[in-house]
Amino acid sequence: MFWTVTLSLLQGMGITVKLFCLTLLFALPLGLLISFGSMSRLAALRYPIKAIIWAIRGTPLMLQLIVVYYGPGLLFGWDLLPRFMAALVAFVINYACYFSEIYRGGIESIPVGQQEAGKVLGMTKPQIFFKVTLLQVIKRIVPPMGNEIITLVKDTSLARIIGVYEIIWSGQAYTKSAGIIWPLFYTGVFYLIFNGALTILFGRIERKLSYFR
Amino acid sequence: MKKSKTCTALLLALIMCIGLFAGCGAKNVSDSDVPDDIAADSDVAYIQDKGTLVVGITDFAPMDYKDESGKWIGFDADMAGKVAEALGVDVKFVEIAWDNKIMELDAKSIDCVWNGMTLTDEVLGSMECTNAYCKNAQVVVVSSDSADRYKDVDSLKDLNIAVEVGSAGEAAAKELGLKLNSVSTQADALMEVASGASDACVIDLLMAGAMIGEGTSYPNLATTVELTSEEYGIGCRKGSDLAAYINKVLSDLYADGTMDNIAEKYEIKKLIVAQ
Repeated sequence: MFWTVTLSLLQGMGITVKLFCLTLLFALPLGLLISFGSMSRLAALRYPIKAIIWAIRGTPLMLQLIVVYYGPGLLFGWDLLPRFMAALVAFVINYACYFSEIYRGGIESIPVGQQEAGKVLGMTKPQIFFKVTLLQVIKRIVPPMGNEIITLVKDTSLARIIGVYEIIWSGQAYTKSAGIIWPLFYTGVFYLIFNGALTILFGRIERKLSYFR
Repeated sequence: MKKSKTCTALLLALIMCIGLFAGCGAKNVSDSDVPDDIAADSDVAYIQDKGTLVVGITDFAPMDYKDESGKWIGFDADMAGKVAEALGVDVKFVEIAWDNKIMELDAKSIDCVWNGMTLTDEVLGSMECTNAYCKNAQVVVVSSDSADRYKDVDSLKDLNIAVEVGSAGEAAAKELGLKLNSVSTQADALMEVASGASDACVIDLLMAGAMIGEGTSYPNLATTVELTSEEYGIGCRKGSDLAAYINKVLSDLYADGTMDNIAEKYEIKKLIVAQ
């Protein structure tokens, strides 16, 4: 029994990890793009972006999942995205907004003097950003990013609301069909192991990046 | 000059991102709207056109559950297969979060919910429901030789009655002020009666049909008084013509004995409602 449960939880964990990795893959770059938008000098760009960040951070992710999956069908009668895809879209948008604020904090923490020095040396703006600012930003945002990324691991459990069979769903299935509850608690072990690995990874990254000191 | 170029580039990138999402949406509109328009607003035609009847379920034996090979079986699953056959389409089962069933229907991610659903006022108000096809009740089980003595609720007053904690049976028995003895499952409640630890138990009729009487582990138990009763129906989108279609197919399947055969297979023949 223990092994059947473990196997079926591992299957659920596979979906959890897939959702986690793909969300990071798309949300990390999209977040950077959004952070540029939110710092833009163009008010026509800055204010809409700020409004989007406000809306996404101001509403529960659970609600966003429901809107992304059921919304198109309910409001416009369109075909629905596949369940996993809908979950991915909702997670990417949500996390990109959170990441963008972390990027913005990191970028704005770099003294303006460095940009001015770069300009004096005749560097272009992209050159200044990629060669001077970015590395320092990455270093500074590792702790808050680690925080957010660990939260993402656990937030993936919300995807079961729209019928994505992640690990909590697999655990709950045993409660419903076989009347046993320990598989649900057992899922906690999988999260702990995964987050333990991430914590170690982030510790390593921080140490690797302890230059400029 | 350079600054404004960067801004423009970012703006364009953003617009492209938005365009990408909008593009997806736009394509989907043309895909789904065409058959909808042709079929006026017939849900049956819509399902036949896409070729699949998508049935929303949860894991709920003996109505919908998986066999060893992972295939969905059960009374409801088999009946849904027959209806799909009549429609000339494939059947597909999707496990859903039960709380979202109405949204699933309205967003067309599923076509019906067919999962031993009790026809309550809420359900009837929010979905287009078929006729009841199966009944369920909270029923009192006693040993068969004493069954004659317990024909009404009053006769149960002095008995020790085993109930499952948190079940509908417990609620019904509590309301009548019966002497309760809570156990953790319905199977435990039956064991209480069989062993003589309790005089009677309250379980649901679906379970009783499968677990007591001739040919089961509990041949010496019998059902007596029904405390509350409920009926199962199939839910379709509000206003859908699928409900009427399923009613027609069910009455055909009832008439030619198919429904009885399937019910026999899952040991719920006594609970079937004539169509």
